[in-house]
Amino acid sequence: MNIHLRSVLIATCAIGMGAGLSSSAISASAPKRTIGLVVTSWFSAKYNTPHWEECPEGAALGNDELWIKNLPQAQRIKATAGGAVQPVDGERKTQAVVRGPKGEDVCWNPEVVKDPPMRIVRGKTGYGFNLDGTDDGRATPKSCKHDKFTSPEGVKVDNQLYRLLGCILGMRNDAYLEGHPNQERQDSGKGTILIEISDVDDAKNDDAVQVAFYGSIDTLPKDSTGKILANASYRINDNPIYGTKARGKIVDGVLATDAADVRLPMYGNNYTGDIPLKDMRLNLTLPREGKPANGLMGGYYDFAKWWDYFQKIEFLLVSNQWSCPQVYVAAKELRDGYPDPQTGECTALSTAMTIEALPAFVIHPDKPNRVAANDSPTRLAAK
Amino acid sequence: MLRHLVSIVAISVALIGCGPGEPKTAGAPAGFRQLSEAQYRNIVADVFGPDIQIAGAFAPIPRTDGLMAVGSGRVAVTPSAFERYEKLARFVAAQVVNADNRPMLVPCAPAQGAVDEACARAFYAKTGRLLYRRPLTDAERDHLVALTSQVAKAGTFDDGLAAGVSAMLVAPDFLLIGDVIETDKSGAQRMTDYSKASRLSFFLWNAGPDDALLTAAEKGELASHAGLTKQAERMLQSPRVEAGVRALFSDMLMLEGAATLQKDPVIYPAFGMAASFDASEQTLRTIVDLMLTRDGNYRDLFTTRQTFLTRTLGVIYEVPVQKSLGWVPYTFPENDPHVGIQSYASLLALNSHPGRSSVTLRGKAVRELLLCQKVPDPPANVDFTLVSDSANPDFKTARQRVSAHSSDPSCAGCHKLMDPIGLSLENFDGAGQFRTVENGVTIDPSGELDGVAFQNPIQLGKALHDNTSATQCVVSRAFAYAAGRAPARDERQYVDYLHKRFADNGYRLKELLKDIATSDGLYAVGPGSPATRPQAAADAAKERS
Amino acid sequence: MTFLIRKTMGRRAALRGLFKGTAVAVALPFLDCVLNESGTALAAGAPLPVRFGTWFWGLGFNPGRELKSLANHDFEFLEEAQPLVPYKKDINYFSGFNTPLDGRKLHVHFSGWVGCRTGTAPINGGEISAPTLDVLVADVIGGKTRFRSLDVSSTGDPKDSYSYRNSGSQNAGEVSPVSLYARLFGPGYVDPNGGEFKPDPAMLARQSVLSFVGDQMKEYQKKIGAADRARLDEYFTSIRQVEHQINLQLQKPEPLASCKVAKAPEETKLGDEVETVLVNHKIMTEMLAMAVACDQTRVFNMLYSQSLSRLHRRGETFIHHSLTHEEPTDPKLGYQSAVAWFNIRSMEAMADFIAAFKGIKEGDGTLLDNTLIFANTDTNYARLHALDAVPIMTVGRAGGRMKTGMHIAGNGDVITRVGLTAMRAMEVPIETWGSNSMQTANPITEVMA
Repeated sequence: MNIHLRSVLIATCAIGMGAGLSSSAISASAPKRTIGLVVTSWFSAKYNTPHWEECPEGAALGNDELWIKNLPQAQRIKATAGGAVQPVDGERKTQAVVRGPKGEDVCWNPEVVKDPPMRIVRGKTGYGFNLDGTDDGRATPKSCKHDKFTSPEGVKVDNQLYRLLGCILGMRNDAYLEGHPNQERQDSGKGTILIEISDVDDAKNDDAVQVAFYGSIDTLPKDSTGKILANASYRINDNPIYGTKARGKIVDGVLATDAADVRLPMYGNNYTGDIPLKDMRLNLTLPREGKPANGLMGGYYDFAKWWDYFQKIEFLLVSNQWSCPQVYVAAKELRDGYPDPQTGECTALSTAMTIEALPAFVIHPDKPNRVAANDSPTRLAAK
Repeated sequence: MLRHLVSIVAISVALIGCGPGEPKTAGAPAGFRQLSEAQYRNIVADVFGPDIQIAGAFAPIPRTDGLMAVGSGRVAVTPSAFERYEKLARFVAAQVVNADNRPMLVPCAPAQGAVDEACARAFYAKTGRLLYRRPLTDAERDHLVALTSQVAKAGTFDDGLAAGVSAMLVAPDFLLIGDVIETDKSGAQRMTDYSKASRLSFFLWNAGPDDALLTAAEKGELASHAGLTKQAERMLQSPRVEAGVRALFSDMLMLEGAATLQKDPVIYPAFGMAASFDASEQTLRTIVDLMLTRDGNYRDLFTTRQTFLTRTLGVIYEVPVQKSLGWVPYTFPENDPHVGIQSYASLLALNSHPGRSSVTLRGKAVRELLLCQKVPDPPANVDFTLVSDSANPDFKTARQRVSAHSSDPSCAGCHKLMDPIGLSLENFDGAGQFRTVENGVTIDPSGELDGVAFQNPIQLGKALHDNTSATQCVVSRAFAYAAGRAPARDERQYVDYLHKRFADNGYRLKELLKDIATSDGLYAVGPGSPATRPQAAADAAKERS
Repeated sequence: MTFLIRKTMGRRAALRGLFKGTAVAVALPFLDCVLNESGTALAAGAPLPVRFGTWFWGLGFNPGRELKSLANHDFEFLEEAQPLVPYKKDINYFSGFNTPLDGRKLHVHFSGWVGCRTGTAPINGGEISAPTLDVLVADVIGGKTRFRSLDVSSTGDPKDSYSYRNSGSQNAGEVSPVSLYARLFGPGYVDPNGGEFKPDPAMLARQSVLSFVGDQMKEYQKKIGAADRARLDEYFTSIRQVEHQINLQLQKPEPLASCKVAKAPEETKLGDEVETVLVNHKIMTEMLAMAVACDQTRVFNMLYSQSLSRLHRRGETFIHHSLTHEEPTDPKLGYQSAVAWFNIRSMEAMADFIAAFKGIKEGDGTLLDNTLIFANTDTNYARLHALDAVPIMTVGRAGGRMKTGMHIAGNGDVITRVGLTAMRAMEVPIETWGSNSMQTANPITEVMA
């Protein structure tokens, strides 16, 4: 993605513009700046090999496969017209999901049937952050015992959501469960995440900045070739559940935040909601030389909130191949963060997502701001 | 000299009772202009209501002497144009008698199969007066009623009325704004009061005369300076003057080009059709705000930082916009180079190439559109390869490239008029977006205008602000726009007189419009006008004072 | 022809009566001088009607496998559009036109075609709040023929029609060749090569209007200086030109040489197997083209497959739509190959459709030359329901109003520009079309003759 970015130094500007322009922009007492960003794309962070080596048991079984397998012979013959047709097509999709003993929908009642264990990621490599601070995944006051991944850079990291979902057909790379909601967000503007980096003295190196996360209520303007445009204005969703903040610093143009609990808007696959991410970390290379910002965000995703989303996308079961009971059981076992003080059971799943973001203006309705042409987020981030 | 001047004043006052000091002009032969699309729309909305749709393409009007308002006096109604008008007339007429609009427009509803001639007569008298900008003659009314009855026979009364409306909408009396001449008591030719009313109204409102103005014409009030002034002042106070000012500046700045402006989507991804329309609207809003809302100084158009933006334009200017729909007022901060309408996206993008800026086109636009100075066309055999070749290592910036102009004597003469202006706008790319480097080299935006050197676009604005040609230009254009012809050579004194008053009034546009609207020069008809109207002598006999 | 003369005299007589006792003079119609003695000269020049149709196929193409853009609006059809190669010179291909939803939800396989055909993105699924463009065209030209428009679907389901005035008013598709034939050429069909003729009274009204304007013009000329006479003369000539056109339309139409009704078809199997659909599509297409040649309708809609295409191959349960989401991209080929198979079948059907119109001679050319077909689909990339760059084609020259054989790259412009272009070519008096970001007043002038 080319963001049509022109690398400009304030000093050159001031000289270029001559006496007509104020040179206060370069003075030591320059006001704190703000870098606004709009997240244009995000995917859960997955380590997918072409030949599924991380999934030695194979792809996760589909709900329909489990359904047909458990049907009595007579019904199985009927459902396949004596083997002449494939067991599941549009007609039978709806039958497969209500395979509970009393015809229950197994996504809403994931414990009414007992499926064989789910095929999950067995590989050792994954992306994420070391959220619990351990190298071995032992239990700590804020985490339950679990396996760690090693990132390609050799860091021990936590990403139980990837471990859970990484072998589901529809979750691989940009397949439907991931690609479609991302496209929906780009086309509709719903669920758009805004990141506002403020208190910036120096956009390349600054040891103390503040980072706030908002939802946007505006669409993403695209250029005539369909690319999302940089430097557009986005009004924040002023629902107070958003606007969560983190402290951070910028080193050589890379923003790293301290841990913080944040809430992000979420839209996709017919679901509108949000993602509460506890102990969130963000590592983001800021826009530079024609490239958008990109990086990794991680944290603990509240299990109940995540399941609320995942059970509601049951209409995608057949084409994307998973079983709600399997996923539910496996997810509960894989939870690794925030033990319930009463039961000791963890309540959240570690996760990470890759994000891409463009310079933007984050608009607070009550705070009009003016920016000179050489101080746009694109230019500022480039400085 | 002084005596000469005094005598002119004396003659003027004595002969025509106009404003003090207006030099007498000979005028031009009477003629006619074709309605512009906007004028057509405005009249139909005024007569039949704003809900009437006007669908269909209008034949384009060529620009003459810098204005379509002048070109409209040269263009003919071609067969294809008439075909469009005829179709459009039926489309409008059908709406006039449809269930939504009829109750408000037609004063009666005769029973099925019946024809109410008196009602038709009243309907035509009222609508015809506004469409033709004069009362219909008895013969015209009779003819329309007969047409109505005849068509009603095969259909309904409303079909008949629709035919009558169609007929008026394709008649020359509607589609052409003609100057009708009569002879006054002294035997001199002059424009009729109705023609004066049209000229005044199309000038100030870009629409036909309203009831009050036609009534004033009917009473002969427009013959006197006081009567004309009263109407002009009334019209200038009306919100409708905004439509007039927009039309004047759209024409003068050639903003209609925004509708067909195409930028290379790879080079200028943010400048699509929406940005083009918004940019043109931004320029008009800035003008209306300064000239009408704030009654400001025309010269400040070149230095103003106060404008209006949309979210789409925010992307172009790389500035935040508080609302995602509609317009927000915006003031560019002190250190921002966007100063004055010449630095806003519309004029910059319109006077650029699809994929790059143009020093020459911009310089030419400033000279021709803002200063009314004609730049000669380039020689036919000119070689552009050097100027276009940004891959040449010696030609990274436009300044380096156009230096070829000055080294070629056949180019230098004209380019020295344009390039030093255009170079100071090089901080804005072909889509009007701010930049400080081109091909890795820092842009030097220094330039020169009529002996005033400057370092950057902000100072160019100041130079334009102080340049007398800029204010002379708008005076001459506004007159040409109003009269449908550029000022003649022997009208120099008259234009200078208008300019002097413009300056004395702090370059406030409304005062200029009023001075033109109430000057005798606007209505003067000269030799070559057609034989006088048959009734003119009789009218003159029962003359108002 | 004799009728025309008589009628004209009658009208003159009628006007005299109306004006009895008044001094108003009524101009003779201008047409008297342009008619030859028998009146045949005008009749011979009568223009053939221009027709409009739509053709729809679901699920688009595998992106990049249908078209290669060349310089100067030229193009080349690639694998998935191979069947169209023989008709390239009759086709315009519009790529890169987008369907912005303005924050409205993307209703998959719905928002795309609704946006493209109505110019308004639906807020809710199933909701159609503006008429489809064929309805707008039929409002203008549909009134002159026996059927305002004809709607046909080859999928066997009458609900499969994308012609709507609004959600509550769908023009249901005719799905059976036998019943389509009965409707078209059964009882009620009048052979245009014989029978009675009645003139349109609206034409007479237009004549009267122009007669009035001619008089106005004579008065006007008296007021205007000699220098401007030439311009007024041109105005005068222009009025006469339109009168001439009206007179042509007041005459009994020429027999339609191209109208030759075929025999009634045999009963065929209905259904959504590709093989069945292709057969029914072809039979009904040929019938439809003949109905158009016989001027039974000037507007028609054919739906080959739905946006959520249920078409499937005999013996296989995967329908075209499921395949687009579930078939993995072939790692070697780089696209979904089974989906490609379906896409190529769609284009075979489109080629059949074009062939039917091109196969009927009319005037100096073919029926296709006097027709404009608007062919569209619902998505650019069915796998992801992409609404940017949804492909559209137009076929035919619309009686010379359209250029053909061109590729137009939309570069992200709104898709409604294509529909507006088609409607303008059909002389629909529409100024702007579409709503919100999809509103446009800019037809694609490059393809307009």
